[in-house]
Amino acid sequence: MMKIFSPFGAAGLAVAGLLASGSAQAVDSSFSNIRHGKELVDAGDCVSCHTQQDGGKKFAGGRAVETPFGTIYSPNITPDPETGIGGWSDAQFYQAMHHGIRPDGKRLYPAFPYPYFTKLTRDDVSAIRAYLNTVPAVKSPPRAANLTWPLNHRVFMRGWNMLFFTPGTFKPDPNKSAEWNRGAYLVEGAGHCGACHTPKNFLGADKTSQALAGGAIQDWFAPKISGDLHDGTGAWSVDDIVAYLKTGRNKFSGATGLMAEVVANSTSKLSDADLHAIATYVKTMKPEKNPPPAPPQARMDDPKMKAGAAVFADSCSACHGGDGKGTPGLFPPLAGNANVQQHDPATVIRVILDGARTVATDAKPTTSAMPAYNWKLKDDEIAAVASYVRNAWGNHAPPVDPGQVKAMRENLREDHASGS
Amino acid sequence: MSAPNFNRREMLTAGVLVGSAAALDATDRAQARSISGDVPWQEGQANKPDIAKPGTYLFLTAAEAACLDAALSRLIPKDELGPGAKEAGVTFFLDRQLAGPYGEASHWYMQGPWKKGEPTQGYQSRMTPAELYRAAIKAIDAHSGDKYSGKTFSQLTAAQQDEILKGLEKGDIDLKTVDAKSFFTMFLQNTMEGFFSDPLYGGNRDMVGWKLIGFPGARYDYRPYVKKHGQKLALEPVGITGRPAWKPA
Ligand code: HEC
Ligand code: HEC
Ligand code: HEC
Repeated sequence: MMKIFSPFGAAGLAVAGLLASGSAQAVDSSFSNIRHGKELVDAGDCVSCHTQQDGGKKFAGGRAVETPFGTIYSPNITPDPETGIGGWSDAQFYQAMHHGIRPDGKRLYPAFPYPYFTKLTRDDVSAIRAYLNTVPAVKSPPRAANLTWPLNHRVFMRGWNMLFFTPGTFKPDPNKSAEWNRGAYLVEGAGHCGACHTPKNFLGADKTSQALAGGAIQDWFAPKISGDLHDGTGAWSVDDIVAYLKTGRNKFSGATGLMAEVVANSTSKLSDADLHAIATYVKTMKPEKNPPPAPPQARMDDPKMKAGAAVFADSCSACHGGDGKGTPGLFPPLAGNANVQQHDPATVIRVILDGARTVATDAKPTTSAMPAYNWKLKDDEIAAVASYVRNAWGNHAPPVDPGQVKAMRENLREDHASGS
Repeated sequence: MSAPNFNRREMLTAGVLVGSAAALDATDRAQARSISGDVPWQEGQANKPDIAKPGTYLFLTAAEAACLDAALSRLIPKDELGPGAKEAGVTFFLDRQLAGPYGEASHWYMQGPWKKGEPTQGYQSRMTPAELYRAAIKAIDAHSGDKYSGKTFSQLTAAQQDEILKGLEKGDIDLKTVDAKSFFTMFLQNTMEGFFSDPLYGGNRDMVGWKLIGFPGARYDYRPYVKKHGQKLALEPVGITGRPAWKPA
């Protein structure tokens, strides 16, 4: 039996024929190509960043994207010729997606995940354009970014790109299965999972040697999702990962915050085959070595841990269980939970202060929520209970300091005041 | 004895008034409302109780506080079983209640018709609780002054105070400006509330009320204990805002 190898799925093969003919191509506006473009736009979650929260027009831009260097506002990518990208040629659109360069030659900031989108094939970028041509044109002028030096100078991006950005279409690994390659293409390309889940260097570029090892982003910590048993998805099966991405929850955890948006706008809309491919790929991203089980990093007779145990018993155990095992699918277990054990405690502190709600999806429309404790627990009490959940029931992670809680409290107050 | 002849029309108007009053101050307090679709939830938002802020009295004058201190010390006195109502901060609790929505009767229907109600109909005065306390304390001090050569209620002996309190409870004493029995009923009720409600409202200091009766407090989860039949659990009580064990030593 002959095996046809295509990392890009059937649709990719179908349009390949159209493109072989010549260089000056018109966008293929057939229904199947537009539908293929829609799937890629879902996979790329373009709508989350390019739509203002609370009822903004789809793809009309204006959403504030926070970066460690300041705020960037997403531009309008509807076909409006003046304020959107209606006037761009297909080649100009490809240049933006593949090289991060606008038609006027200016460099785009990587808050637009073109370091990932560069992996997309020419055909797939054309399909995205074909779909974007069909969305309603909206007049909505761009807003200037508000960045700190040196990133406020776009010309600086030329140096940044030289250092950290290599444009290049995804190259399949012929030694791996078609499914694995499809997964790699989606994760490293359109899905831009590493934009949140890969740690960044001091200039905001991916530390590529630590792909998907967990990254701090907008007062969340996107956890390690490579296959580490302690703080990654090592204990998850491929089906567990698929269930999480499709329905927003599984027996280990639920998606909330930034990941809730990714699930709602992107992964819950992908086909089962694509989700399976993503999970297959993520599962094979083994840590260099799976460390042996380690002792907790705070002892149970430590005053902070004792206080944390008391707060937990009185305030948290009803949902998460005195044994930390939770009620899977409803209240996530904290024992063995990767989010709880990341070296950076941002998500744990944030969720205790502000509460959390699991995303609602078509598959699981009923959500469960955790209340906010910001009004009730003091900084030292939150530090205590956070340290406790990070080191009870076999968990181990650095204990939390009240100063970290205070800083997060202030950040969240600012975030809520600015409506992001 | 006349049956209350509230007619339907009056009831409807009353409903409208209560409804609009509620809408005006719906900002912070829990109100009944209908929900459709997803259960509303917002990051960082909580339906939190009004926590009594420490500090000086907001409603009571020093003289009024002295009268209440004395009176509620007779209702729940300090004794061999533990601290009494005064030690538990019940006067402070009453002050915060009278200074807040309870004192203004903001959740009660306070319009006419003014008919004398049945005892089973509860509080029927035109006065808000704040007005009632203010007038009653004044009248009680005046009554003790008349009877005991110019002394205020707080200056009397315990036996003399008990006698006056009994007189108020039975309605034997005429306070002239206010109905003695209505006041006593409310005061006794409020004193118990202050002694046994969550400490965040200012009374039940150090959870002394709960310790006295062995109430384990605002606990969330009793599953670990359901099977422990007939055993003494000796759970330390916990308030909505915690217990001493929450503080890292
Ligand atoms: C993580 C947020 C994010 C996601 C996801 C995202 N974008 Fe953007 N995009 C931005 C930001 C921010 C900019 C502006 C960058 C700048 O000003 O340098 C931008 C710029 C662009 C531009 C350049 C427009 C112009 O006028 O300069 C295009 C085209 C674009 N995005 C298309 C897309 C498409 C197509 C997708 C989905 C496949 C997508 N983006 C997904 C944030 C995002
Ligand atoms: C009313 C039930 C409830 C209570 C009480 C509760 N939680 Fe939660 N908690 C949840 C739910 C539901 C989520 C899931 C949100 C999601 O999908 O990630 C959650 C998520 C979490 C997470 C993130 C886990 C993850 O996988 O994302 C942590 C950490 C956490 N809770 C800690 C606590 C602590 C500490 C307390 C007590 C101070 C507490 N919770 C009290 C229901 C509760
Ligand atoms: C916009 C940032 C962002 C992007 C993009 C993103 N994630 Fe996440 N992800 C998060 C955050 C933050 C969390 C943890 C918060 C939570 O509990 O939901 C998370 C949690 C997860 C988890 C759960 C891990 C656990 O142990 O509970 C998985 C699995 C995951 N992401 C997979 C992915 C995949 C696959 C992609 C790409 C298709 C992706 N994420 C893209 C931010 C992101």
